Amino acid sequence: MTVEETLAEIVKDQVFFDESGGGVTLSGGEPLMQAPFVEALLDACHERRIHVAIDTCGHVPRDSLKRISQKADLFLFDLKLIDAALHEQYTGVSNELILSNLQLLAREQTPIIVRIPLIPGVTDTRGNLEGIRNLLLRMGLRKIDLLPYHEIGLGKYPRLQMDYRLQGLKPPSEEDVQNIFQKFSEEGFTVRIGG
Amino acid sequence: MNDRVARLRQESLDLKPWLSMERAALMTEFYQRSADPSAPIRRARALQYLMENKTIFIGDGELIVGERGPSPKGTPSFPELCCHSMEDLEVLDTREKISYGVDDEARRIQKEIIPYWRGRSIRDLIFDEMSEEWKAAYEAGIYTEFMEQRAPGHTVLGDVIYRKGLLDLKKDVERSLEGVDLLNDPQAHSKRQELRAMAIAADAVIRFVERYAEHATRLAEQEKNCVRRDELLEIAKVCRHVPAHAPRTFREALQAYWFVHLGVVTELNTWDSFCPGRLDQHLEPFYRKDVAEGKLTREQAHELLQCFWIKFNNQPAPPKVGVTAAESGTYTDFANINNGGMKADGSDGVNDVSYLILDVIDEMRLLQPSSNLQLSKKNPDSFLKRGLEIVRKGWGQPSIFNADMVVEELLRQGKSIEDARCGGTSGCVETGAFGKEAYILTGYFNLPKVLEITLHNGIDPRSGKKIGIETGDPRTFANYDELFAAFRKQLRHFVEIKVRGNNIIERLYAEHMPAPFLSLFVDDCIARGKDYNDGGPRYNSTYIMAVAPGTCTDSLAAIKFHVFDKKNLTMDELLRALNSNFKDSEKTRLLLWNKTPKFGNDDDYADDILKSVFDLFYDEVNGRPNTKGGTYRVNYLSTTCHVYFGSVTGATPDGRKAWEPHSDGISPAQGADRKGPTAVIKSAAKLDHARTGGTLLNQKFTPKLLEGPEGIDNLAHLVRSYFKLDGHHIQFNVVTASVLCEAQKHPEKHRDLIVRVAGYSDYFCDLTKALQDEIIARTEQQFFSQ
Repeated sequence: MTVEETLAEIVKDQVFFDESGGGVTLSGGEPLMQAPFVEALLDACHERRIHVAIDTCGHVPRDSLKRISQKADLFLFDLKLIDAALHEQYTGVSNELILSNLQLLAREQTPIIVRIPLIPGVTDTRGNLEGIRNLLLRMGLRKIDLLPYHEIGLGKYPRLQMDYRLQGLKPPSEEDVQNIFQKFSEEGFTVRIGG
Repeated sequence: MNDRVARLRQESLDLKPWLSMERAALMTEFYQRSADPSAPIRRARALQYLMENKTIFIGDGELIVGERGPSPKGTPSFPELCCHSMEDLEVLDTREKISYGVDDEARRIQKEIIPYWRGRSIRDLIFDEMSEEWKAAYEAGIYTEFMEQRAPGHTVLGDVIYRKGLLDLKKDVERSLEGVDLLNDPQAHSKRQELRAMAIAADAVIRFVERYAEHATRLAEQEKNCVRRDELLEIAKVCRHVPAHAPRTFREALQAYWFVHLGVVTELNTWDSFCPGRLDQHLEPFYRKDVAEGKLTREQAHELLQCFWIKFNNQPAPPKVGVTAAESGTYTDFANINNGGMKADGSDGVNDVSYLILDVIDEMRLLQPSSNLQLSKKNPDSFLKRGLEIVRKGWGQPSIFNADMVVEELLRQGKSIEDARCGGTSGCVETGAFGKEAYILTGYFNLPKVLEITLHNGIDPRSGKKIGIETGDPRTFANYDELFAAFRKQLRHFVEIKVRGNNIIERLYAEHMPAPFLSLFVDDCIARGKDYNDGGPRYNSTYIMAVAPGTCTDSLAAIKFHVFDKKNLTMDELLRALNSNFKDSEKTRLLLWNKTPKFGNDDDYADDILKSVFDLFYDEVNGRPNTKGGTYRVNYLSTTCHVYFGSVTGATPDGRKAWEPHSDGISPAQGADRKGPTAVIKSAAKLDHARTGGTLLNQKFTPKLLEGPEGIDNLAHLVRSYFKLDGHHIQFNVVTASVLCEAQKHPEKHRDLIVRVAGYSDYFCDLTKALQDEIIARTEQQFFSQ
């Protein structure tokens, strides 16, 4: 798909962006794996004055992030685990690059919403959430989305002939999510559940 | 809601509709005795006889009074239009849905009156006059005929009754009578008859209301409870003033409307009953004045409106049978209160009463009256959002109309700017100039059926009869254009059959069933000395309603794409698959169903075909003259007729199996839209709404999707976006758990169903059974908790 073709699809929805103040979110996979395409699309959208958000896991080359960071209107930045070892255990990579990328964006004052998945027993532990909170406070980032684990994907894995590795894991309770929401709010964060 | 309203509302909900023979018996008595040679005068005297003799009913605790039947939910019949057979009564009494209780006494009376009306009722006259080809097309389900059981109505009251009482209107009638020029006007005699009939009809209702005043006074004398006694005396006082005189207060305005309403729906069983239209604007001056003078509080106004609402709910639609029952299977009589929009000078029309009415709609939650928002770009978001809060509760009201578009549609039809701004929508989605237009819906038109007949060279495969014209064996068509040209010829053939029939039926009503009472309230009937049914109104439109543009478009797209463009199938293979209802060719069906560009996905391949179907129907219908000095127009709604039309249509090239429902309104075929609501809106907006008199778009959501202020905001953005693209109407069905269960069983029909889980949405049919079950359980819960 070319930039022009993608833009043609995007423009179809411009009336809704105009009305709602919304725009495009480039998501993935990881959009920054195709940084030159993303950059070209960003430019094309901006010519049309369409707002662009980048949804990234943060584990991307610093250079590509740097180029894009000056152009994107908003970053949706995943932050899963603060502990490097745990991060490596669950995702296969260390979080070192991710954290330094986040630091870079924070310094450049790009608008950022940090997105924290709440996976019971993995990311929703007190230690992890406190670590994240302290880091964000230090960086001056105040907007977060809490993304409670859900089971929508359950049916899709078998259809793709893939193994579902969280079999049996239940979503966090409403109450647990509310408690986490409460704690972040009290610290002055703007918190959304879902989003 | 207070105790009074709660009780009256519950009574209205608990009572089952029943057939009252009072009107039929009185009407038969009158016709047997009267031999007045003038049709309008005979009709006016018939109304007088009814109003003098019908039962007067004032229920305990009522503040707004008046019933069409002898008591709430007592539904009269209209034998002079359609005299039910004994079998019809059996059907009415016993059918599973939309039944009406019929007791032995009713059966006895019906048996007595049937012989008199045989060959005299309008229905008999219509079927006597219709040609064989008309009957064949009617029986095949190409179209329906609105006027075989109900009279032309499709009109809405303007502001006249708030300015003038019946006595003032009588003076207008007298002035018009004086002006009739017997020397030079060839129609002078009939004008005099009509005007005299209007005066008699006015007297008939004045007398009817007098009887209410007398009854209220009598009840007051017997009443021991002094609070209720005062209320009854107040009722008597109100009834002594309106509608003979113009109302002075908020309460008198409501009561005046209600008596005029009863007069109209007793005179004839007009389609869409009757409706006060822009109620918030009509009531606002009374509300403001009464509140300023300390005569009325918001609570009192609220209570009076609630009592008014219950009155509508007490009047089920007159009982229909056969095809007419199938095409609109509901107790709803389609009175549709308009709220918001703009004033005659073009300024924002939302006022305090608009919000008051929204509160009433929310709290009353009644089937009738129906209600809508006329949403102009000038109206504040707070108005829209208050409406959407009600929409979210999931019982189907209010629907939302683009008021700016309604004005544009009316202007395109040649209405003056003031008349256009005072117009609105009635029935389901029909645009009209309120108080000034007869916009008569004459029947639904089955687009996919015409395509089916085109594909069979004029033969209806269901019956094997040749009811169309020979437009060529489609196997010989070299390209899509040849097919489309054949479709055009076939469509023209059936439109012309329908119009020929309409031109007779219009005259039958004009000559046999004038409506002198209704004519009093529609400009310019009095000034012209002409009846509502005979071109008296300022504007006279005749509509044919296109049904299933979605199914028709997808079917044409499938042929174009698979037979002509991609050559995946030959025409012969396609026809054989259709004729066998895809028996042994499920693979072909899935190809057609899944791998075809379909309307509703913002895909120009399909949407351009929709536009061509729209243009075709428009070109064949719009602008033809009717018999009343007006023209034919098109609109796009189906009520429940897409189900009936589907039941007479075999398998279609879009992969729909035989006898399954067609798409409704201008919505995509069930499950054809797979790119979400924004794509549906984009596709639907490609239809040129300005050249219609109304279109209907249904959207489905589960409650969770609409949760919180964000849910309302999103919905508001969606509505505003559609209206920015010049859409006419949108309504939201909040899906119930039972629909979700149905979707679990038949996912192919519910591909479009989106559900929200936490912050994510997905197509319901793509979820696992376990997750679907969870969502069903949660949806159930949400409905309970409301």
